[in-house]
Amino acid sequence: MPVESPMLHAVAVGSVDDGKSTLIGRLLYETGHLNADEIAHVEEASRKRGRKFLDLALLTDGLRAEREQGITIDVAYRSFDANGRRILLGDAPGHEQYTRNMVTAAAGADVAILLVDAKNGLTSQTRRHLAICAMLGVEDVIACVNKIDLVDYDEGRFTELADELIAASESVDGPRITAIPLSALEGINITERSDKLGWYSGPTVLEVLHDLDRLIAEEAFRMPVQWVTRHDEGGADVRALAGRITSGTVRVGDEVVALPGGKTSTVSAIDVLGESRDMASAPLSVALHLATDIDVSRGDVIAPVADPPQVATRVKATIAWLDETPLSAPARLEVRQSARLVPAIVEELHERLDLDAMKHEEADALEANDLGIATLMLAQPLAVQPYAVNREMGSLVLVDPGSNRTVGAVMVTEVLDS
Amino acid sequence: MSTLTELSTLDVLEAEAVHIIRECAAECERPVLLFSGGKDSIVLAHLATKAFAPAGLPFPLMHVDTGHNFPEVIEYRDWYVNEIDERLIVASVEDSIAQGRVQDETGPRASRNRLQTTTLLDAIAEHQFDACFGGARRDEERARAKERVFSHRDMFGQWDPRNQRPEPWSIYNTKLRKGEHFRVFPLSNWTEIDIWAYIQREGLSLPSIYFAHEREVFTRDGMLMAAADFVERLPGEDTFTETVRFRTVGDATCTACTLSTASTVEQVLAETRESDVSERGASRADDKTSEAAMEDRKRGGYF
Ligand SMILES: Nc1nc2c(ncn2[C@@H]2O[C@H](COP(=O)(O)OP(=O)(O)OP(=O)(O)O)[C@@H](O)[C@H]2O)c(=O)[nH]1
Ligand SMILES: [Mg+2]
Repeated sequence: MPVESPMLHAVAVGSVDDGKSTLIGRLLYETGHLNADEIAHVEEASRKRGRKFLDLALLTDGLRAEREQGITIDVAYRSFDANGRRILLGDAPGHEQYTRNMVTAAAGADVAILLVDAKNGLTSQTRRHLAICAMLGVEDVIACVNKIDLVDYDEGRFTELADELIAASESVDGPRITAIPLSALEGINITERSDKLGWYSGPTVLEVLHDLDRLIAEEAFRMPVQWVTRHDEGGADVRALAGRITSGTVRVGDEVVALPGGKTSTVSAIDVLGESRDMASAPLSVALHLATDIDVSRGDVIAPVADPPQVATRVKATIAWLDETPLSAPARLEVRQSARLVPAIVEELHERLDLDAMKHEEADALEANDLGIATLMLAQPLAVQPYAVNREMGSLVLVDPGSNRTVGAVMVTEVLDS
Repeated sequence: MSTLTELSTLDVLEAEAVHIIRECAAECERPVLLFSGGKDSIVLAHLATKAFAPAGLPFPLMHVDTGHNFPEVIEYRDWYVNEIDERLIVASVEDSIAQGRVQDETGPRASRNRLQTTTLLDAIAEHQFDACFGGARRDEERARAKERVFSHRDMFGQWDPRNQRPEPWSIYNTKLRKGEHFRVFPLSNWTEIDIWAYIQREGLSLPSIYFAHEREVFTRDGMLMAAADFVERLPGEDTFTETVRFRTVGDATCTACTLSTASTVEQVLAETRESDVSERGASRADDKTSEAAMEDRKRGGYF
């Protein structure tokens, strides 16, 4: 039986100024999740800026520079409980320059709330965010046609944009789309419907969030070793492998292998933060005891002997390039995968995604915020799987060893022969 | 045979925090856990001991002591460190004043809250710490809501909120140049209610000032402040006795208390669920001075 996750990660995305921060402020306001002093602060900050209304974007746009420019620069996170479940809500920036922060917010999200300005329609940034959500495996998108007040609450305009959004998502094999006409400013269709949209009978944003099922996927067991603990127990040197189970379930008695080394053993005990258990599942942090003393160190992946990930030194992958310095092949970088860091070479750039045509095209370089496909060669073998099969085994981060900057987010699409 | 139990939000938050703590301990050369004796740092220290048990902590604790503390908290701090049998470093603002590194403020509104930053950065340099675990939560404040889990600080201890490293998934880029460090926040996604619920679940003890008690107080800026020798009162700020508790502990000169009769964890939890005022709104006098007070302090190297 799949287990229901107690947490839902949601992220608001879409082009600059389309109303993400306003929507999030409004959602928290209408559901009673803002304290009196927070509301008073937003009221005062609105007045100071000469706003004649409560500017709820000022709730999450809290940095000096954000308030000066009236845009979101980095993601703000807010948590609230809805329908017995914790929702962790990220407010991503829409400005193209800050796409790296949007990627940060959208990685790991279960659902994206994508906003489009009803008057301006889809922009290439709308498509970029949709494509990034598709790459990141975000399963559901609540597509909000916002500022419907600016187009006279027109059903025709809503239908037109909803169709465009569905088509855009299909062209990148993207997520399921639920389209909602919205006014974040007037508070229409966030938690409450309005007579002004008498023609709309679908759900509100909150209703969609309530109804989303988020089951913990039943995948093979994986645990990257973070730390090998040792302690003395009555003269015996006891070792345990500490880490977080990233997928699946492990049981006492399971035969496991440590990769990339390939040594096998049997799980003799499972310690879940001080409690001994017969079994444990993702996403718990545990310490595994093995029956035999095999050579295991930080960065190794523990997996079932019967169903291990591949081990490879070459992968094909989708890259979201996040640095101002363009990427051109060959490039020497470092790859971080959960607890492992290995030198890597971006051998070949195959394609980049043209966001206006929504088509892949040949490319010599990836500029900042480009999405592309490349082959990576690794200096050491890595236990790895396609991202679509196992998220944690297929997600990598690129680090520039010269600047130490995080320059790319990588999703493995194909594990190649070494 | 046990079966798969239903996961709670606390289970997930706990697993996430332990993952972050282990990751930092494995990657950084010289981490330290900032321990104030406040509820968030108590939860953090508890998670750290769980992360490495039955072995001890692979890093020390450090308290930045303003000298203007509530005695109950210092008592608790020393008791707790002894209880878990770990090492505590005390970095003292009074030492920084004596050494001429900072100047003590004077007058009725004097506070050592700002001075702590210098003491903290000096201690980081002296001990060559490259990572400081902090108990900050994103739900506390607007600037904190923006911060990464592994938050980079340059050689001057500065935070650059406009240029944070991307941090997709739970993959942390832990590379540093010499002299730089990280502030690491394992409780990023916890709320005040989660903290109390976890304290209840784990049966943690807290300094007594978190529970209702009688105290001599006075009113300032609409908040109840504790009367103490080192707080100079303005004319008209007469003291009286009330039954109060603190929602956060910090420097006694800028931490307010609230009227409360909650004397157990259960009662505090119930009150917190009902409360219409945020933790900072109820407790922090220092944030009312400007819209971006916290961001400005954080940029300069504050917690
Ligand atoms: N008329 C109208 N204006 C809106 C609506 N929603 C948002 N706005 C306005 O649009 C502007 C931008 O809103 P934000 O919420 O800051 O937009 P954003 O998507 O968060 O922008 P970035 O984070 O910078 O990408 C503000 O002036 C809002 O008041 C709406 O439904 N109708
Ligand atoms: Mg915004």
